[in-house]
Amino acid sequence: MVQVIKAIFYFGPLLFGIGFLAPLSAQIIQAMGWTPPFGLTPLMTGLILGGAYGLLAQIRGRWV
Amino acid sequence: MSPTQDLSHLSEAELLRMEREIAARHLDKFPYFAVFWAFSNFAVWLALWPLVFMGIIPLWLGFIIATANITLSYLPSHEAQHDIIAKPGAKLRWLNQLVGHVSTIPLVLPYQVAKITHMDHHKHANDPELDPDYSTHADGPLHAIWKSIYNRQPRANGGFNAYGELLNRKGRTDVILVSVGYQLVHYGILFALAWSGYALEAALLWWLPRHIGLTYIQYYLSWAPHNPGLTKGRYRDTRSFRSIVGNIGSLGMQYHIIHHLHPRIPLYRTPRAYWEMKPILEARGCDVHDL
Repeated sequence: MVQVIKAIFYFGPLLFGIGFLAPLSAQIIQAMGWTPPFGLTPLMTGLILGGAYGLLAQIRGRWV
Repeated sequence: MSPTQDLSHLSEAELLRMEREIAARHLDKFPYFAVFWAFSNFAVWLALWPLVFMGIIPLWLGFIIATANITLSYLPSHEAQHDIIAKPGAKLRWLNQLVGHVSTIPLVLPYQVAKITHMDHHKHANDPELDPDYSTHADGPLHAIWKSIYNRQPRANGGFNAYGELLNRKGRTDVILVSVGYQLVHYGILFALAWSGYALEAALLWWLPRHIGLTYIQYYLSWAPHNPGLTKGRYRDTRSFRSIVGNIGSLGMQYHIIHHLHPRIPLYRTPRAYWEMKPILEARGCDVHDL
C-alpha cells in the first residue's frame, strides 16, 4: 500500500496532467468554441496538451 | 502610556514587567468573531458548489468568492493552533479543535500539520535550518510571490515539502499519513469532477483559488512580517509594517510582532496591544518604525 501511494505521488505531475489538465483543456476548448486541428476531438487535444505538460513537469520537477 | 514615550532608560526587568502587564490585559479573550468566521467562511465555500452547479450564480462570481473564502480560511485555524479559543482541558476545547480542523479544509492543510509546523516556526523563526517557513524569505514583494509559487513545485525544497521534511525529522509518520490522505481526497475529487464534465468548476472553485489563497497567505503571514528576516531572537525575528491594503487587507498581520511575543493574544486584540506596547518595543530596539 505504501509503495502504491509513493508511486502515485512520484508520478503526481504526470497524473495531474492526464487526470485534471486534460479534461480541463478539453472543456476550455469546447467553452471557447475552438475547433482542434487534424480532426482531433477536444478530449484528444486535451490529453495531448495535458499529458505533454504533465510529462514535462514530471521530468523537470516543476510546472513553471 | 503614550505611544511616543521614551522608555529606553528603563531596565530589562522593568520593560518585561510592563510588557507582561499589557499582554495580560489582552489574553484570555474569547474570539467570537474567529469562531463565526471559521464556520461561516467554510459554509459559504461549500454553498458555492451547488449554487454554481445549479446555475444560480455564474462561475466567475463563484471563483471570486471562493478565492476570498480560501484566502480567509487559514486565520481561524491559526487562533486554534495557539489554543486561543480554548486551552487543553477547557470546557470548549472541542470547539477549538473543530475550528482548527474545519477552517483549513479548503486549503487542503490538515490541522495537525499546520499546528506542528507553526509551533516550530515560532520556536525557530528565521533559522535557515529549523524554521519550516524559511523558504518564503525573499528579496522583495515580487520575489516573495515567485518564491511562494516556486515552493509549491513538485520537487521544490521549501513550502509544504519542507513541512514534510520537518514531520519526518520529528518521526510524525501519523501526521504525514493524514496529509497524504488529504492530498489523495483533494486530487481524487478534482479528477472525478474533471472527468464528469465539471473541470472548469473544479478549477475555479478550488484548484486556482487555493493557489491564489496560498500565495496571498504566505505573502502576508510569512514573508511581509519577517522581511528581511536576517536576525533571530524574541525581539528581532519579526516586525510591524504598513501594508498598502491596510491591516484587514493584510489579514491582520501589520502587528505580527505582538503575535510572536505573545501568541495567545487573539488576532483582533493585536492592534490595541501593539499601540500600548509600542514604547516598550522601541526601547527594546524592535523593528517597529513603519507603523
